Amino acid sequence: MTASTDRDLIIRARRGAAGGDAFGELVTRYQTGVFNVCYRMLHEHATAEDLAQETFMRAYDRLHTFDLEREFGPWIRRVAANLCLNHLESQKITVALDEERDADESVRPEKQVEVKERSAQVRNALSSLPPQYRAVVELRHYQELSYDEIAAELNIPLSDVKSHLFRARKILAEKLHASD
Amino acid sequence: MHLTDHISDVQLNEYLDNESAERTQIETHLSSCDECAARFTALKTLFTEIASLPELELTHSIAARLAPTPSLQPQLPTWLTLTATLQAALALITVIAAAPFISRLLPAIQMPSLTDLFLQLQSQWTIWLDALSTFQLPTLPQIPTLEISSLVLALTLAGVSMLWLVGNGLLLRNQMK
Repeated sequence: MTASTDRDLIIRARRGAAGGDAFGELVTRYQTGVFNVCYRMLHEHATAEDLAQETFMRAYDRLHTFDLEREFGPWIRRVAANLCLNHLESQKITVALDEERDADESVRPEKQVEVKERSAQVRNALSSLPPQYRAVVELRHYQELSYDEIAAELNIPLSDVKSHLFRARKILAEKLHASD
Repeated sequence: MHLTDHISDVQLNEYLDNESAERTQIETHLSSCDECAARFTALKTLFTEIASLPELELTHSIAARLAPTPSLQPQLPTWLTLTATLQAALALITVIAAAPFISRLLPAIQMPSLTDLFLQLQSQWTIWLDALSTFQLPTLPQIPTLEISSLVLALTLAGVSMLWLVGNGLLLRNQMK
């Protein structure tokens, strides 16, 4: 028996209970990817899980307006990135760039034994970025969106996308180079 | 871009993001400039490091946490499923079995014309209004009743019962899907 396509599952999920557990199957397919988007953005396991769950709940609510010609995976990951960005901005943890640079040492993984040291350093460096920088890095490096697509997704000018990416990478390079 | 000019960091970023319109010039310059090539390698290493971040596994399945959403519809017990199916089947058999009898009985029923019905209804209404105008407490007005033959009553009851059986069976079956 061949596995249902995302499109089939969405059509079934739109029928609610009559469509069986189609939405549950979609969640199973994409939950790891969505969780990792949230974790890269938030760097906090429990919050990342909550936001990942919230992402799927939002997706369920918007399922009737979802364009079936689009791919579900990239779409749900973008929803997650936006949700995390809103969460970060609502938490008002945006700090000035200079403060962020100085705050590097305060962010240390609690369980370094569980992850490779370099990965932990990269995650730490990512988590120290201001929310908007994190969002553009997420959308460019992990979701492979073009500059134009990022601008449209985050509703910011193209010049901001370029400058955010450039500055984010500069900060990441400095942090990672410093930890070598 | 002149071949002698060094490549800026912005240009290197755009090149690695596949957003540069000067790819050929940049590649030509990189092949001949050690300084720019070193910066290019460093930035490329950063890209690799960001991209090589391993995916973490979830400790709790989100699908399980969201499970109540798709399963909000309560599951009907098996006995009810079977009863509903049986009910629908019985209703269907009853309709098929009753068809010859109904077709034989139908011509026997004398249906009054619509005009007669209307006139009868109008005269009943007039009688009722008369009764109402002479209404005196505590005497209750005598409400006229329509005469219904036992055959019509029996057929109506049979029809309603069949409709109830079919409708109920179909509704339950639809819920169980």
